[in-house]
Amino acid sequence: MKITSARHPDSAWVEGKMENFTALFGAQADPPPPPTALGFGPGKPPPPPPPPPGGGAGTAPPPTVVTAPPGADKSAAGCGPFYLMRELPGSTELTGSTNLITHYNLEHDYNKFCGKKVKEKLSNFLPDLPGMIDLPGSHDNSSLRSLIEKPPILGGSFNPITGTMLAGFRLHTGPLPEQCRLMHIQPPKKKNKHKHKQSRTQDPVPPETPSDSDHKKKKKKKEEDPERKRKKKEKKKKKNRHSPDHPSMGSSQASSSSSLR
Amino acid sequence: MAEKFDHLEEHLEKFVENIRQLGIIVSDFQPSSQAGLNQKLNFIVTGLQDIDKCRQQLHDITVPLEVFEYIDQGRNPQLYTKECLERALAKNEQVKGKIDTMKKFKSLLIQELSKVFPEDMAKYRSIRGEDHPPS
Repeated sequence: MKITSARHPDSAWVEGKMENFTALFGAQADPPPPPTALGFGPGKPPPPPPPPPGGGAGTAPPPTVVTAPPGADKSAAGCGPFYLMRELPGSTELTGSTNLITHYNLEHDYNKFCGKKVKEKLSNFLPDLPGMIDLPGSHDNSSLRSLIEKPPILGGSFNPITGTMLAGFRLHTGPLPEQCRLMHIQPPKKKNKHKHKQSRTQDPVPPETPSDSDHKKKKKKKEEDPERKRKKKEKKKKKNRHSPDHPSMGSSQASSSSSLR
Repeated sequence: MAEKFDHLEEHLEKFVENIRQLGIIVSDFQPSSQAGLNQKLNFIVTGLQDIDKCRQQLHDITVPLEVFEYIDQGRNPQLYTKECLERALAKNEQVKGKIDTMKKFKSLLIQELSKVFPEDMAKYRSIRGEDHPPS
């Protein structure tokens, strides 16, 4: 598997490409002649070609016969008053005028990725991967770029660990310290907000939202209520026992009062 | 083509699972789990061997470097694909617009030149093999 860079920030690459370009089109890279040289201009006629070595003076060839300059295409020969004419690109050639996504049958992929919203986090792409993978790789020095820039020193092959080598993997018993427990940390999974909202809406909404302190007081009152009720009941019972209305007390008190009298 | 990736994906998933199980063993190590630890360590070695074997089948696959940047930033690499497709479509539309404009310009130029230089343009058309001026 190779890794490619779509961008070419190196100026050396650009220079190299430019050299190739000039090598390819060096003969045609001369500045184009002025428009009058095309034969359309109303002003000066095209300059006559140099007379042939054996020909007489003043015998200029007719203007329609034009020899192709070294830079022009072969098809330019016999082009009448026109030169520097090149063959038009063929209609079969693939250009930007065609929809390239449909040409390469990428509509399905386009609809897949651009039709709906792609989730931002890496954990959405790799949901089963353990650990906190949404954090930048530079945080824990686990970036793939560092793996490319500083590749690990590898031997020729992966050899199984022998018995004597495995002796080096004897660990201390007991749990790891908390700062080392990276494997157990999982990104918090978002709850379904819609469901949560539904449950909220189902709850009866109080007409006036009391403050938190009031709410706590009420709760405390509610918690204290049964105890108070018990105490009150016990007090009432005691009072009743001592009250004159109580049947047992009434007789005794009456007797006592009568004895006093 | 897809089989190659399925094969690699399968090996990577097994490897990740082994690493996870190894993490669990190590996080609360007991003397009795030494045998399991040794076994997991050897599984990891064989897992790496399997992944290394997949490399031979995938030597012709190229991965853009920008995808790694997305992964390093904790972003979904599918966003890269999405942005690539969007950029390609935008550029495609832009180029199509340029081509269409140039075609219009060419037809207008030929039309106007034909008015001023009818003979020359007739020759031009005969060279180009165009009997009628392009509309």
